[in-house]
Amino acid sequence: MNRWRFQRISNRILLYIGAGLFVLQAVFPFFWMVSTSLKPHVEVFAQPPSFIPHQPTLDNFKRLFTATNFLTYFRNSLIVSGLAVLLTMVVSTAGAYSLTRYQYYGREKIAGLILCTYMFAPIMVVIPFFILVKKGGIENTHLALILAFTSFCLPFTLWLMRAFFKTIPVQLEEAAMVDGAGRIRAVIYVVMPLALPGIIATSIFTFILAWNDYIFTRILITSDELKTLPVGVQDLFHSALIDWGLIMSAGMMITIPALLFFVTVQRYLIRGWGAGAVKG
Amino acid sequence: MKRQVNPEFQPVPSSRTKTPSGNMAEESGAYLWKSSIAKTGPKRRDQLAGYLTISPALLLILALTLYPVAYSIWLSLLEKHSFFPQERFVGLENYIYLWKDPEFWTSLWLGIVYSGWTILFQVVLGVAAALILNETFWGRGLARAIVLFPYMIPTIVAVILWKWLLNDTYGIVNYWLMAIGIIMDPFCWLGADHIMLSVILMSIWQFFPFVLLSILARLQTISPELYEAAKVDGASAFSRFIHITLPQIRGILFVVILLRSIWMFTKFDTVWLMGEGAGAGRFIRTLPVYAYMRTLTYYQAGLGAALAVIMFGILVVTTVIYFRLFREEADIG
Repeated sequence: MNRWRFQRISNRILLYIGAGLFVLQAVFPFFWMVSTSLKPHVEVFAQPPSFIPHQPTLDNFKRLFTATNFLTYFRNSLIVSGLAVLLTMVVSTAGAYSLTRYQYYGREKIAGLILCTYMFAPIMVVIPFFILVKKGGIENTHLALILAFTSFCLPFTLWLMRAFFKTIPVQLEEAAMVDGAGRIRAVIYVVMPLALPGIIATSIFTFILAWNDYIFTRILITSDELKTLPVGVQDLFHSALIDWGLIMSAGMMITIPALLFFVTVQRYLIRGWGAGAVKG
Repeated sequence: MKRQVNPEFQPVPSSRTKTPSGNMAEESGAYLWKSSIAKTGPKRRDQLAGYLTISPALLLILALTLYPVAYSIWLSLLEKHSFFPQERFVGLENYIYLWKDPEFWTSLWLGIVYSGWTILFQVVLGVAAALILNETFWGRGLARAIVLFPYMIPTIVAVILWKWLLNDTYGIVNYWLMAIGIIMDPFCWLGADHIMLSVILMSIWQFFPFVLLSILARLQTISPELYEAAKVDGASAFSRFIHITLPQIRGILFVVILLRSIWMFTKFDTVWLMGEGAGAGRFIRTLPVYAYMRTLTYYQAGLGAALAVIMFGILVVTTVIYFRLFREEADIG
């Protein structure tokens, strides 16, 4: 009996050590980013490095907002990702409803096609996309970027919404329709309230996907005032001496929105949706 | 086809059913009428509505994804400058050029090395983390969220984090390694010899949470009774993993490895950003990076497109072989 107890306790200890190591490897780089961003210039390069800044300062953030175009990039990222999510969500909510509620010829083929495009990687699309955008005369515009974001978000969003609509029992709308409500009323009053959490969560996942894009913006946008955050921040590297304090503060400012969104939807990730809910 | 209306369901007040009670007969009559239509009629209205609601999504996918991919096949047969409009049909010349191009073979090999190692460790660490985070312990919810988070950040953030951690002069990793005496001189993480190792390490860090997430979601659906029974029979933790967990996660593992292989083999931003400015980018020039450079550094859009088509071809062939080899798992998944 004693031996059994001993093993139980040592198993618990091993479990906590394992979990602790996984948490530590995830957290430490972020901790180091926050720490560096709060250090004055001299302390950033000090040896030995200090974990907690001795003289914490917001100087890096001040310079980020005044000396760089950070706020422009931030606004661009919000506008482009927001509009791409809006377009994607409207289209894919209708599409997912269609794929789960109507019977028609070719429905499963269409669903298979969407799954297929879900696996496409940006690099396979971006080169022809770039040439086509130039031919269409919309290079270096936010419109081109919104269309590009839609191209990689839509299959993902559609797939997620389809999985979500499948969990809403079709009997509920049928009952409403039996009670005399038309299809549109049934959708507005019965399906939508139930689907709303899923729609919000899907919007956020799509937003994160769009917010994180690098390659399309790098290739489609050339003017500085149209760039989004990931490309804008990369360009901070192009000075002679890399200003790590400034770069870390920029990294923090991009991570915070992603963190806020992640906190609101992370429970959806593990409860049920699993692999479908992320891409990349 | 017998459908039942949930009696507890409270219908939303609608203008057509003014009286909430008293006309049950009428309602059920309408119900019968409708369901008989459903049984016999071709539901043409439903079909039309179905096509109508899917068409915006389908048109956008056709125009924004499938058309560009198809166009890249045409583009790969042209000699085309990336910025000027002139183009010339050259047939398979781009492909022949690449066949003789040592740079192409190097990038293909580097891509295989990069994706091979990253996929292996992502799967091992992802499964291990999922098994741990599936146990019950204090702070589990928070631990799950934290471990998943690196997957959610923009690649540029992951790259600047790791470039700073691995910085040869001021990086904390070198400082630690020297402090505990593993190395004497600063290790040149981003130099020619070790940049592949560095990009593999940071890619594992960034992407293994995807495997964790997928496996964890599956583990939660395994009935605990299976484990209870095995415990009663005295099965060790290892044999429980082999005989209960593994068969249950085989299907999802099949899908996850496929998705990760596709996405790692075509991974552009992580590799490109890691190599850029480090001076050793050439040593991690994988196929996607090479395609990008052909298009935007040498302005040879035709060659760039040919590389994209080759990548696509490799993926299709590999996927088909993969399905043939593991058909059993595919059925489960």
